[in-house]
Parts: sequence; structure tokens; C-alpha cells
Amino acid sequence: MLEWIARGLSKRRVTTRYPAHTEPGPPGYRGSVSVRDAGGAAPELARVCPTGAISVDGGDIRLDRARCILCGDCVRAAPERFAFSERYETAARSRAGLIAGGTNEDEEAEPARRALGEQVRALKRSIHVRHIDCGSDGAEEWEIQALWNPFYDIQRLGFFLTAAPRHADVLLVTGGVTGPMRAPLERTWDVMPEPKALVAVGTEACSGGLAAAGGLVAGGVDQVLGVDVYVPGSPPAPIAIMHGLLLAVGLLREEPSA
Amino acid sequence: MSVAEEPIGLPDYLPAHLGARREPGPDHEIRLLVAPLAFLRTSRMLRDAGARFVTLLLADTPEPSLMGVFALRGDLVVLRAPIENGSISFGSLGAWWPAARWAERELVERHGARAIGIPPERALTAPDADVLDPRVRGLDVFSLPYGPVRSGIFEAIQFVIETGGEDILRLETRPFFKHRGMEARVVGLRPEQAVHVVERIAGIASVAYACAFSQAVESALGIEVPQRAECWRAMHSELERIASHLDVIAKEAETTALSVGQARFQILKEQTMRLRARITGSRFGRGVVIPGGVRFDGRIETAELLAELDALERDCQRDRRLFLGTASMVDRLFGGGRLERALVEDYSAVGPLARGSGVSTDARHERPYGDYRRLGLRVVTARDGDAMARVNVRFGELTESLRILRQSIDRLATIDGELTVEITGARNGAALGWCEAPQGELVIWVEVRDEVIHRMHVASPSLRNWALFDHAFPKDVLTDFAFIEHSFGLTPAGADR
Amino acid sequence: MSAVFALAIGALALAPLLATRVGRLAALCSATGCVLLVIVGLDGALASAPLSLDLGGWLGFGHSALRADGLAGIFLALTGLTGGAVSLAYAELPPGRWLTALGGVLLLAVAVAIGADNGFLFLLAWETLTVCIYLIASADRARPDELVAGYLTAGLTKVGGAALLAAFGLLYGHTHSFTLEVWSHASLSAGTRGIVFVLFLIAFGTKVGVVPLQGGLPAGYGAAPRLGAASLSVALCAGFYGLWRFEFGVLGPLPVWCGDTLLVLGGITALVGIAYALTQDSLRRFLGYSTIEHAGIVLVGLGVALLGHAAHNPRLAAVGLLAATLHVCAQNLAKTLALIGIDRVEVATGERTEDPLGGLSRVLPLSAFGVGIACLTLAAIPPLGGFVSEWFTFEALLQGFRMPTLLSRLLCALAAAALALTAGLGLLAFVKFYSFMFLGRARRTLAGLREPSGRPLALVALSAVILVLGTVAPWEIHALGSGLRALLGFNAASSVISHPLVLGPVFASFSVLAPTWLALVLPAYALLALLIAVSAGPGKVRRAPVWVTGSGADLSAVQYRPSAYSNPMRVVLRGLLGYRTRLVQTDDDESGPRFVLENGVVLAIDRFVYAPLAGAALHVAACVRSLQSGRLSAYLLYVLIALIGALSLVPILR
Repeated sequence: MLEWIARGLSKRRVTTRYPAHTEPGPPGYRGSVSVRDAGGAAPELARVCPTGAISVDGGDIRLDRARCILCGDCVRAAPERFAFSERYETAARSRAGLIAGGTNEDEEAEPARRALGEQVRALKRSIHVRHIDCGSDGAEEWEIQALWNPFYDIQRLGFFLTAAPRHADVLLVTGGVTGPMRAPLERTWDVMPEPKALVAVGTEACSGGLAAAGGLVAGGVDQVLGVDVYVPGSPPAPIAIMHGLLLAVGLLREEPSA
Repeated sequence: MSVAEEPIGLPDYLPAHLGARREPGPDHEIRLLVAPLAFLRTSRMLRDAGARFVTLLLADTPEPSLMGVFALRGDLVVLRAPIENGSISFGSLGAWWPAARWAERELVERHGARAIGIPPERALTAPDADVLDPRVRGLDVFSLPYGPVRSGIFEAIQFVIETGGEDILRLETRPFFKHRGMEARVVGLRPEQAVHVVERIAGIASVAYACAFSQAVESALGIEVPQRAECWRAMHSELERIASHLDVIAKEAETTALSVGQARFQILKEQTMRLRARITGSRFGRGVVIPGGVRFDGRIETAELLAELDALERDCQRDRRLFLGTASMVDRLFGGGRLERALVEDYSAVGPLARGSGVSTDARHERPYGDYRRLGLRVVTARDGDAMARVNVRFGELTESLRILRQSIDRLATIDGELTVEITGARNGAALGWCEAPQGELVIWVEVRDEVIHRMHVASPSLRNWALFDHAFPKDVLTDFAFIEHSFGLTPAGADR
Repeated sequence: MSAVFALAIGALALAPLLATRVGRLAALCSATGCVLLVIVGLDGALASAPLSLDLGGWLGFGHSALRADGLAGIFLALTGLTGGAVSLAYAELPPGRWLTALGGVLLLAVAVAIGADNGFLFLLAWETLTVCIYLIASADRARPDELVAGYLTAGLTKVGGAALLAAFGLLYGHTHSFTLEVWSHASLSAGTRGIVFVLFLIAFGTKVGVVPLQGGLPAGYGAAPRLGAASLSVALCAGFYGLWRFEFGVLGPLPVWCGDTLLVLGGITALVGIAYALTQDSLRRFLGYSTIEHAGIVLVGLGVALLGHAAHNPRLAAVGLLAATLHVCAQNLAKTLALIGIDRVEVATGERTEDPLGGLSRVLPLSAFGVGIACLTLAAIPPLGGFVSEWFTFEALLQGFRMPTLLSRLLCALAAAALALTAGLGLLAFVKFYSFMFLGRARRTLAGLREPSGRPLALVALSAVILVLGTVAPWEIHALGSGLRALLGFNAASSVISHPLVLGPVFASFSVLAPTWLALVLPAYALLALLIAVSAGPGKVRRAPVWVTGSGADLSAVQYRPSAYSNPMRVVLRGLLGYRTRLVQTDDDESGPRFVLENGVVLAIDRFVYAPLAGAALHVAACVRSLQSGRLSAYLLYVLIALIGALSLVPILR
């Protein structure tokens, strides 16, 4: 045991300083797709996307990140219009916040991140997180688990994992909600005390993703319950999920609506 | 006087003696056409000859048929019985071959097939979390549902445990809580689009699924993949295996509350994931493997990659030594969840699970594909069949994967040329593709018609191995549950598809 | 006061006669007798001069009287309290005239046995008691399987009776008197003392359930009809009284090995009792085995007392005897309460086993309260009486270093360890016993269940007595010390109660306990916590269904069953309990095969002691049966042979 401890101590700090400091993705990382040039596109461009995330409305491109599975088909088909961004932070508090295109790109990320760190401190208590899988591909679970590894160590921000939903403040939902998981999801959400927040993790949870077309999944958690924070990505990286959790903390501070 | 008889293999014997007709097929695929009534008898002969059950499926090429896939020595025997006048009816294999039970139930429940003499069992593919259906009577006995919402961050699956308070009397594994219909989802997609779906069948084995699918498509359409692409595919596969095995070991450490060990192996796993993100742009190696090759070269310098692998290997060896020297850890694993070899063979289990019980089966070795035809492979096995053996197999495979990676890096320097070939030529075809996923042998049947996927069937290692989980608690108690489950290292997403 | 005593005995004697006509009135009559008995007992314990009720010489075996001296006073009071409660219960839940009469006779027999100053009178009362116990244990003819248990109880009691007769015979042989006073001054050889000690131990051990003579207790409890078990529990008073009176009082300072024997037997009895109790599903049998456990604890205390007596160390004797007496009081009161409580449960639900029960506190709140008080006492939870008495027993064992021999010191340490284990297992056992009956989810519908009687006086009165005795333990010890004065030669209470509310184990400044303060402080903490909880939150409560890992399974099906709860202990104690399991496949249905878990507990003592003995007894009975031809001439021949045999003994005895 002593040797274990010595081994642990002999290593340098690996833990990220996010959200106090920014954490960029590695070069070439496919964190999200951004729209470089939204105007004057041909309507056929929409057919490139396997999940229908791209729509062309009167020549204007709109990209719904809730549907984007980061496959890159659009980037390869029209590199002058789409590009991969290495940025991790993709979460938003509404589906509308996930629509890219036009002008609202990449502007509020930096101040928001610092504000999120303050929010956690202002809450003055720990946050208990419960997870439920409603039909993910299994990768989201790995990325959520990673939040508690030494690299991300989300406990330093006061997030703890709980087995009992009765003790939970935040529910992380992965997957687009398959038939047999619908009732368990509703039950889990029902027994959580107020105030509570629901975070949909992964493109499948945000919109059903690729599986949505099959008809066996509900097509996103918001088809079943109200989603407070969307974290798109296939799967979203641990920092992206952490970003989503921090967004959810803001909701916990607000009084629950009667 | 006596004529020395040539030893005759079963593939030749079967056509001769059963009226089965050998049909042409790609390498390692022995396709036999039998009369519907002979299907059961032939399967039985295959089992008697030592074949391993892989899957049962409904094929549509060249005609609607019931198809059984069996692994026999270095080949896959594909037994095909045409479906006559639309009604699918066959003698139950599951009645005498436990391995076939779940595959058979899927056919019966999903596709309306009729399996004559199928053993009674509750519905498999439409699980109901609310129904416990206790099967054991006794004064102490009660049922304990575990799942579908599990404690911790785990995928959805349900176990119904019947216990007398301490010992596990009976366990029922209920998969298919997250069936998303991914096999049907690819129908009508072009192969390079379909691979996006296939990668997301089991997220933690994306590369393996993409490889098996791509190889099936390539085999069906008769495409030769460039060597450089094959080399990269092997490297991505091995990195995926390393991450997956490290995950299993970290979870075992977590279960025994060995926090520092858990942290160490999580660090190694995260380093592997980050390495994969640097090479491919995706932490799960997605978007690289496509039918016809790989999309791009790894975006990392060879020297840098080698340095990363060296560091990984060094840390891994040290942590392994500490892990195996920690009595509290080893004591829990030792003797837990023992699976006898006979049981493993009855259920035709695959992967580290089978290798932990002394069954030396590895798709990379049995039917080498891609670059594994050129790389040497040492199949790591252990005999004890307990959780410790399964962890030991994974430790051994970590070393072996790192060795393969180095070998591949050397090879990569010597191969030039294209990464992909165009999918041209034949527009139709059907074939099996296989790959050794971290969980075990993965086999995918793909039919291509008019350049789009017409049918796909996945024989996932997770589903096949999970059937064995019901029997993994011969002498174990409730508290042993978690680390026996982790020692299986399976993914419900892959099982449920 | 003698008149009160006469009135009490008279009321008790009248009750069985009344019972044949008006059962309820008879029960009330014997309850009145019991109340008077309590008064007499307290007077006897506290007064300096013993109270006596002369019966003259009509028995023909010398002059006899009923007297309430200190020791008799304590046990009369205890009999009065438990008997009164049982009598009230008889009035509330009339079990039938026959049983009411039997219960009345039993009470009378216990009172007379405790009051008797004459060996013959004691024997007479004791044999009456034996007959009552047999009749009660085999009264329930509707349960043939339990009838065997009744025979076992009767048989063992008979063995005890025979041992008592032999002991009395020996004492009479040496003193030519049946008067207990004379016996206690008899000069007996060490060997005779030893033999008489063993005979008395067998006699009273069968009654209170000392291993390996414990068999009758759980069997009798299980077999008895409604409230019969509670009556049997009252009869324990006579058994314990016998141990006190004869082993400690009459036989005087016994050899050291006698005390050692009690320590060993006590430790084993306590452990075996609680281990077996853990395996029981029958509520009655559980309480029976729990009684055996407590008898073991009492025996350990008595062992210390005997050793102290042997070493002529009155303080050491006092600490042991006081602990044992306290424990007898606490355990008898609580056990009677528990038995009355589960009989109410049986009347309400019709169940005698624990498995089908659950959640009863919602429909039977009073029974839940009563049984809860009893369980807290029996599991030795502070501040109730059981804790005080177990604390005293431990303190007595901690005086081991004062013991005369090394072996005794060693045995004290071992007994303390056994007792610690017993206490732990006891907690587990009573958690199981109480919570699976009254808490959790009901396995069956609770609709229509209600308290069997609106005013459960017996339950409430006995609960009140236990609560009061637990909280004002110093006062109880004052009475006990005064009552035991004659046996010990000094009033132990004065050295136990160093400060009005603080207790110590006789030896000053060894350790202290303040049960009264505990009784005040512990509830105050709970109250404080409640206050904080109330003041902190707005108290908005939203009720959500119980979480079963996302499954909507029926909750009563997924909760632990009582036997499953104790399963780990059964697995750990596999050897001692002879626990074995087997999973057998029975049949198939449309969703797969079905199994039956065959598991059983073959108690080692049943297997190695009772089963061979029962086999031998049956064998002898078969042999005897062949003699019984049914012909008159054969029987005349037997009589003749017996007569000749008896006559031939005369010259030998001369």
C-alpha cells in the first residue's frame, strides 16, 4: 500500500484547471462543427448530413448541433463552408442555443466559463450527480466516468456521484430513450427532490442522433422530460460534460418554479 | 492392398454425406447449402466436430434463407437453408446447444420464426423492468432487481438476482433495454455512410465494429485494401483494446476500493484516450476506418508516438506489478466467478472471458485478417477461469498490444501508397467480416445490393458472452457481484444493438 | 399483611374454580390475586421480618407454612407482575375456560412453590406446575405436529421432577426433615453437596432452559395455544427461584467447581440460545430460544455469585447475585410482554410465523409499542432494564481477577467474551424479530386488520412497569438489595447506589452507570434532533415512490425476508447450526424452469442429544408395549412380581 501511495505522490499533477483556466482540445480534435460561411448555399447541401442537422433556408445554412454526430461528411463535402472546431465547450441551455450558423459563433465562451466557476463557489454546497443510460452507445458512459479520474477530478468542484436519485441534484441522461427505458427514466426523475436539473449528454440524448430514424428511440430526452442543459457530441469529451454540469449548477441556484 | 485414405475435413465431408452443396465464398468462409430439414442435423454434426456457435440470422442473398454461422478451426462454416414459402421454421438448436439459445430467441421473437422444440424461457428481446417473475421458492428466497438504472455510471441492463440473503441462488440477465435497431438503420445507406451507424453500435469498440463492417463490405465486393490502411486499422484496434482493458482493470481496482490503483489505471486509460484523440481527432477513433481503407494517416510523429507508447508500457508494467502484489485486490479476484472450461465451450464464449478459462480463441489468430496476417500474435490464455484469470489475460494482452503497435510502426515506415481504394466494380455481394473486439470476436454479416446496404447482422461478443453471466456465480455471494461483472468487461450497447 | 397474603393466595385459588363458569371473571380474580401478591412480595423484600402464613401440619410431612421472606418476596413480586399481566390478557383475549383454569392453577402453583418453607410443599407445588405445563403445552390438539413438542416438554419437565425428588430425598436422608430452614443448616459432605448441586441444576435447568436440557422451552412455547406461552413464561419464575433458594441459599458455600460449571454452562447456553433463535421463523420458538439465551446470562451471573460465596467474599457474591436477579426481573417481564404482544398479533393476523408478516405497526400500533419495549429490553438497549442488568453481569465478570482460582479467572474472561458475542447476535436477532413483523412493507394486505381488543390493559400496564423499572433502576436495586440481604449477609444496595441516581458494581469506584440520567438524556437527544429538523426546514414534503433501481417491481417482493436477513449468520455459524442448502429443479412453465431451495437447520443439540434419546425412548416404549398383552392375568402377574420385588428390598434397606 505504501508503494502505491509513493507511486501516486511521485507523479506530477495531471488535473486540469478548468474552469479557472481554459482547456483547449488537442490539435485536430473534432469537438464541434462550425459554419464558416452561412450565406448563399445550395439546398442540396442539406442532404450531405446523415442526421439532417444541416438545413438550408433561403440560402442560409443552419446547423443543429443537437443532431450533429461529428462525422465530418459536411466538412469533407464543403470545406469552404464547414470546419471542425477544437473547442470542447458545446453545451447550451436550450435547443435553440445549439443552432449554429449566421453570426452568433464563438463569442460568449470566455466570460461564461469564468462566471461558471464563480457560480459553483456561490452555491456553497456540493452537488450530487446521478446518471441514467437510456440507450447510449456506451461511449458517453466512459466519458462521464472520466470526470472522476485524476485528469478531470470533478470532485474538486464539489460534484459527487450518488447511487440514490433521492440524494441527487443533477440527472445526467445519455441515449435517445428507448422504449423499455422510458418508464425507468420517468421514475428516476420523479424521485429526485427539487431543485433539480436534467442534463442530456451526447447527441443521442439531445436529438436521438442516428438512431432516431429507426423509430425505436424517442428521439431525444426532451421528447420525454424537460431538458435543462444539452451537451451535444458523439460522444462529448469530459470537459464538455463538465461544462454542461457547470451550466446546470446555475439552475440549482434559482428557485424552483412552483 | 489398402489404399491410404486422404484425411477428409468436415467441410468436404458434409457436402458428400449430407447432400449439402458447397457454394463459392471468400477466404475462411465455407458456405454450405442444405435442405431445410437437414439444417438441425448438420448443426449437430458441426457441434460434435468441435465447432463454436457464432450466430443465427436471416439472410436475403442469394435468396431468403436461414443462416447459421459456426467457427470450425480456422474457418467460418456458413450453413444456409432456403426458406420455403415464406414461413421460417426450424428445429431448435438452443434445446441442445446453450450457445444458440439467445440467437434463436431473437429470431423467434423479432422475426416471427418458429423454432420447434425451443426450451421455454421468458421473452428476451422485450424486457420489462417491472416483472420479477421469481423462479425459486423457499423460505429465505427473495428477488433483488439490479437495474436497469444501475448504481454508478453504467449502461442499462437488468439483473434479477434471487438470493437467500447472502448466496446468489439464481441470476437472470436481461439485455435489450437499449435496443436501438442499429442493424435496420443501415439498410439503404451507402457503405461509407453506414459506417457512421456501425461505429455507434458499441461506442467503446467503434474501431472494431468499423473494421469488421468494412471488411465484410470489402469481402462482399471483392475489394483489396491497401496495406498501409490495414496497418493503421490494426494500430487503431490495438489502441482501442488497450483503453478497454485498462478500463476493466481500473474498475476492478475501484470495486475493491484500491483508490490509488484505480487512479493509476484511470490515468493510463485517459492517456490512451488522449493519444487516440491526437492520432485520429476522436477519443474513440471514430471517423477513420471506412470501407475501402482508412480516411487519413495518424496525425502524430512516429518518434512522439513511440515515446508515448514507451511511457505507457513502463507505467503499465509497474502498476501491474503493484496491482498483482496487493493482497486485498488479488484475494477478492482469486477464485471469484469461476467458469469451467466445459461451460465456456457449451456457450461458445469468446474473447478474454473464454481465454481466461483456457479456451484459446482469438479471431486475430484463428482467421487472421488485415495486417494480422503479417503480424505475429501470441494468444494469452489462463486456465483458472476465475476473475483473476480474466484480469491476468487482459494484463497479458496489454503487453501484446503494445508489441503489435511497435511492430506496426516499424512496418508503416516501409509501406508507401494509398490509404483508400474506391469502392468500384461489383455492386452486389454478401459476406462476413470479423474482428477481435476488446470484448471478443465480432462477426458482421453484410449484404450489399446496388451499392447500398441491403441487410446487416451483428453477432456481438457482448451478447454471446452475457448468456454465460447467469452461471458465473457458482459459489459467490452478493458482494462479489460487481467485480465478477467487471471481469466480464462487456458492453450492453453492443449486445442490444 | 398476613391477611393480604392469605387473600392473595385465596384469590388465586378461587380463580380456577370460577373459570369453569365465567372465564373472564376468573381471569380478573387471579389478576387481583397477583396485584395482592406484588404488595406482599414488596413488603417481604423491604420489611425486616419475614411474613408468614401458617398451614399447620396437615400435609403429614411436618409443619409447613407459606412465608414471604426477602428472596421469596422478590420472586413473589415478579410472579405477581407477570402473572397479573397474563391474567389481564386472559380477560382481554379469552382463550377458553379450560386454559383459563389451567393458567390460574399454574399461577397458584408458582406462588405456593415460591412461598413454601417446606420441601414437601414445594415438591407438591412443583409437580402441580409440571402437570400444568404439560397440559398447556399439549392443549392445542389442532396442531398434531406441535403435540410431539408438548410431549418433549412434559418429558423433560418430568426428568427435572425426578432430579428434584432425588435431591430432596438425599437432603431428607441427611436431616430427617423437610423444612428448608433445617436443610440450610445441614452439614453435608462436599461430595453430597456436589451431587445435590447437580440434581438441583437438572431440576431447575429443565425449567429455565439450560443447555443441554433446553429442549422443552422452545417446543413448549411453540406448541402452547394462545396465551399459553405467556403462562409458561410466568412459570420460569419458579425455576429461577429454585436456583436462588436451593443452589445459593440452602446448599450454602458450594465447591469452586460448581461456580465454574455454571460459568461454562451459562456461556454455552447464552450463545446456543441466541444462535438458534436467529434461525427461527416461528415467533414463539424465537422467544423460547431467546429465553434460553437469557437463562445463560442469568446463569453466568449466578456462577459469579457462587464463586464469590465459595471464596467467602460476600461482595463478589453480591455483585453476581444482584446482576442475575436484575436480569431475571428484566427478562421475565419483557419476555411475558413480548409473548402477550405476539399473541395479539396472532389473534389479529392468524399467523404464528414471521415470514408472512410485515408493516403491522400501521394497524396494530399498541402491540407494536409493547413488543418494541420488550425487544429493546431483551436486546439490552439503554436505558431500559435489560441494559442495566447486562451491564451488571459484565461488571460481575470483570471482577474475575478477584476469583479464588486461576481457572475461574480464565472462565470469567471466556464467559465475558461469550456474553459480548451473545449481545451482538441478540441485537441482530431482535432487529430481525421486530422489524420484519412491524416495519417495512406488508407481504399481504393489511386491510381489515385491527387490534384484537380496544383497551389492551395487560400490554400497557406491563410496558409501563418495564419503562419505570428501567428508568428508576436505583429504586429497583434498593428493593433487590434489601430482599437479598438474608442470603448475602449485608444489604448490597447500599454499596451499589453510591449517589442517588448513580450505580456501581458493589465494589466502590470500579465503574458507574446512571440509567436514570440515560433515560432522560437519550430521549432528550432525539427530541433535540427533532426540534432542529423542524426548525431548519419549511417541512415541505413530497412523497415519491421507493426507488428500486428504476424497476417498478412490487416492493414487498423485493424486500428482504426475515430468514434472508439472518442468512449470513446462518452461513457463518454453519457448523454449529447444521445449516445446509440445496437447490432443486421442480418443473417448467412457459418462461423457464422453476426451483425450490431446500434448506434446513439441524441443530447440533437436536441431532446429537435429543434425536438419539428420543430414538432410545421410542425403542424402550416398543419393548414395554410387548409386555402389555391386555390380559388381566398378565397384569396380576406383574403386580405380584412388583410386590415381591418391593418386599425383597425391605431386608436390604434395613
